[in-house]
Amino acid sequence: MSTDDIEADLTRNTENAPSELLARLFFFVCAVLSVVTTASIIVLLVSEAAKFFSVTAPLVGFAGETVSVVEFLTGTTWQVNSGEFGVLALVSATLLITVGAAIVSVPLGVATAIYLSEYASRRARRILKPALEILAGIPTVVYGFFALLYITPVIQLVFPDTGTFNLASASIVVGIMIIPMVASISEDAMSAVPEELRQAGYGMGATKFDVSTGVVVPAALSGIFSSFILALSRAIGETMAVTVAAGSQAAFLQPWNPASYLEGALPMTAAMIQLLLSDITGGGLGYRSLFAVGLTLFALTLSMNIVSDLIAQRYREEY
Amino acid sequence: MATDSRVIDGFGQVSQTAGTVFRYLLLFATLAGLIALTVLLLFVANDAIQPLTADPGWHLVFLLTLVVPTLSTVGYLLARARAALSVGVAALGLVVVSTMFAGGIAMILVDIIPPITWAGYVLTFAVPTVALLAARRAVDLPLLAWLPVAAVVYYASLLGIPGPLGSVVGLEQTVPSVAALFSSLSVLPADWLLLVVTFTLPVAAAVGSYVRPAGDRVAAAVGVGGVAVASAAALSSSTVGLTPVPATTLATLVVVPTSGYVCRTVLSRPRDRIGLALPAVVVGGSLLGAVLVRAFEFAGPQSWVDWQFLTSAHSRAAIDAGLYPAIGGSILLMVTVALFSFPLGVGAAVYLEEYAPNSRLARLIDVNISNLAGVPSVVYGLLGLGVFVRYFDQPSGTVLVGGATLALLILPIVIISSREALRSVPDDMRRASYGMGATRWQTVKNVVLPRSFSGILTGTILALGRAIGETAPLIMIGAPDVLFSLPTEFSAKVSAMPLQVFAWASLYATPEFYQRAVPAGVVVLVSVLLAMNSVAIVLRNRYQNEQ
Repeated sequence: MSTDDIEADLTRNTENAPSELLARLFFFVCAVLSVVTTASIIVLLVSEAAKFFSVTAPLVGFAGETVSVVEFLTGTTWQVNSGEFGVLALVSATLLITVGAAIVSVPLGVATAIYLSEYASRRARRILKPALEILAGIPTVVYGFFALLYITPVIQLVFPDTGTFNLASASIVVGIMIIPMVASISEDAMSAVPEELRQAGYGMGATKFDVSTGVVVPAALSGIFSSFILALSRAIGETMAVTVAAGSQAAFLQPWNPASYLEGALPMTAAMIQLLLSDITGGGLGYRSLFAVGLTLFALTLSMNIVSDLIAQRYREEY
Repeated sequence: MATDSRVIDGFGQVSQTAGTVFRYLLLFATLAGLIALTVLLLFVANDAIQPLTADPGWHLVFLLTLVVPTLSTVGYLLARARAALSVGVAALGLVVVSTMFAGGIAMILVDIIPPITWAGYVLTFAVPTVALLAARRAVDLPLLAWLPVAAVVYYASLLGIPGPLGSVVGLEQTVPSVAALFSSLSVLPADWLLLVVTFTLPVAAAVGSYVRPAGDRVAAAVGVGGVAVASAAALSSSTVGLTPVPATTLATLVVVPTSGYVCRTVLSRPRDRIGLALPAVVVGGSLLGAVLVRAFEFAGPQSWVDWQFLTSAHSRAAIDAGLYPAIGGSILLMVTVALFSFPLGVGAAVYLEEYAPNSRLARLIDVNISNLAGVPSVVYGLLGLGVFVRYFDQPSGTVLVGGATLALLILPIVIISSREALRSVPDDMRRASYGMGATRWQTVKNVVLPRSFSGILTGTILALGRAIGETAPLIMIGAPDVLFSLPTEFSAKVSAMPLQVFAWASLYATPEFYQRAVPAGVVVLVSVLLAMNSVAIVLRNRYQNEQ
C-alpha cells in the first residue's frame, strides 16, 4: 500500500527515539500475549492429557493409574468412580444437542439473515440487529434455567414420559443462543453479494423472492456454511445451559434415534463441570481425565473453526 | 418494483402470493428468537416479582400516577416531536443506569474500600504525579532519564522509603508511604468530606467540561452545584434513612450527571427540551404513587427481588437467601477484568492496526485471535486452573485468579472490536498528523485513540457483559459456591451472580429455591446485563452518527 510507504517515510527519523521504542515494545507485548495464551492452552492440555493415557504416560515420565487411548475413544460407559472413561457416552450427548441446536438455529438464522439483508428497511435493521445481539448476551446459566423451569414442562405436556432433565430443552435453548451468530455471519456474506447480480436478476424479470432464493443465497453459500460450522462449534463448547438442563447421568444414546432427545445425558462440557464439583483429589485419575476431555473438546472446536475459515476463504465466490 | 403484479402483453402474470408469504415467514423467523426470549423473561419476572399478589388498589394507584401519564407523554412526543422523545428516553436511561452504577460504587465504598483508604490511594498517585509534572517543567532532561526518576518517586509514594526492598537488606523503614502518612494524621476529615474532595470533585469537573459547550457560566454552576448537592446529601442523609457515604455517592453519580445532561440539552437543543418531560413524569409519577400507596395502605406485590434479597448473604432457607456477596464479587471481578483486558486488548489492537498491519507476524496473530475467540469457556477455565492455580500456585477461587481467567476469555473479543474501531479512523487523519511531523506514538495517542475511543469502549462494555455472565471458568478455578461475606481484597475468595444462581439451582435444588431465589437472582443478573448492553448500543449509535 502506498499509504504505508508514506507513513514509513515520515516516521523513519523518529522511530528509534526512546519513547517510540517503549510504546512499540508495549504494544508488541500485548499482541504477542494472545499467542502465548494459545500456546499455554495447548501445552497445558497436551501435557496433562498425556499423563492420562497409558501410551503417553511413560513419555512424560509419569507413573500412576492410566487409561488406554482405545478404551477412552471407543468406550461407551462413563463412570468416574468405577474407573470407566468411555468418552463416546459424552460425545453422543454433545452430538445430539449440537444437531438439535442446528435444527433450531439454522433455519431461523438463515431466514433472519435473508430478511435483514434483503427485505428489512434501514430503520428496521437498526432496531433488529442490536435486539438480536441481546439473545447472545443473556448468560448461558440463565438459558439453562429457562430450559429446566419453563421449556421442559411444555415438552412434558406433549411427551409425558420426558425426564426432568432432557436433551430436547437443552437443544432448544442452545439453538436460540446461537441464532445471532448464524444470522450475523450469513448476513455479512449476503451483503457482500454485489448489487449487479441482483439487478441482473430483476432485469431478467425475476421477483424479489426469486432473486433472494435463487441469486443471493447461492452466491453467499460459502459464507452461510461457514457460519453454520462456527455456530455449531459454539454449541459444542456451550457449558452452563447444558449443565443445568441436560442432566448429570452419563448415558450412551443412539444419535439417530429421535426418542433420545427425551432422555437426559451428560455432554462433554457438563461432565467437566461435574468432575470439578465432585471431590476430585488433586492429581488423581479423575483430575487428569478432565484435561483429556478438555483436549477432545478443544481439538473438536478448533478443527471446526479452521474448517469454517477454509470454507469461507476457499469457496468464496470472487466478483 | 419487480413484485408488482401486472399483466403485460406477451408476459404471463407474476403472482405476489409466494413472495408475500415468504416475506412474512422471514419476518416471523427473525422475531421468533426474540419472542421466545421475551416470553421466557416475562415468566421469570412474574415468578420473581409476583405482581398479582399486590392489592388491586396498588395497581390502580400506579396505573393512574405512572402508567397513564407515561404512555400519554410518549404518545404525544411520538406524534409531535420524535427527536425530543429520544432525548427523553436517553435522560430516563441515564437516571436508571447511573442509579445502578452508583449502587455498585456505594457498595464498594461502604464494604470494600472505605473512603479513608480510597483517599489514601488517590493521594498516593496524585502527590508524585503533581511533583513529577512540576519537576518536568522546571528541569529539562531526556525521557530516558525521567523514567527511573518516576519509578523511584512512585515507588516511594506507594511503599515508603526504603520500603520492602529495604527490608530485604535489613534497612528500617524511615519514611512511611503516602497512604500510611495520611491515615496516621491525628485529625482526619469526616468520611463524606473525603469523598466529596476525592470523588465528587473529579466527577463534577468532568460533568462541567461536558456542559461547557453550552456556556462557561452554566458549566461552572453545574460543577459547583454538584459539589454542593453531594455535601448537602451527606448532611441530610439521616432524614431519608441513609448513611452519609452512600448518600454522597448517589448524589455524585446520579444527580450530578443527570443535571449536567439536562442543562446541556435545555441550552443547546432548545427544541428538544420538551422531551425532558418524560423522565420528569416517570420519576414524579413513581414518587407520587409511592406516597399515595403508603397513605392508602395498599399492599404491594410480594416480590422476591427486594431490599432484603439485595443486601443479605446466602442462607439455607430460601426466604432469607440473598445475593449481596455475589453482587459485590461480580463488581470486583468486573473491575479486575477491565483492568487486565482493556490495556492489553487495546494495546494488541493498536499493534496490529498501527504498527504492523501487513507483517507475517501480524497475520499469524490475526489467525490466532480468531481461533482463540472460538475456544469454549470451560477450556479457559482449565487454563486458569492449570496455569494460575497449579503452576503459579495461587490460592484457588480468588478475585485475582478469576479476573485474570475471565480477562483472557474476553481478550479476543476486545481485540477484535478495538481493531474495528481503529480501522474506522480515516487514513487522512493519520497522514495529516504525520505531515505535521508527529511520530507514530504521538499519532496514536493524539489522533487515532481519541477518535476511536467510543468504539473501543462499546466493544469493551459488551465484552465485560459477557465476562460477568460467565460461570464455567469460575467453577473450574474453584470459586466457592456460597460466600457469606464480600471479598475485600484481590486475594480473597470470590463468588459471582451467575455462580450463586447456579449453586441455588444445583446444590440447593428444592422447590423453594426454584420458586424464589433462582428467579429473583436471574432477574437481577439479566437487568444488569441489559443495562450494560443498552449503554453499549447507545454509545455505538452515537459514535456511528459522528462518523
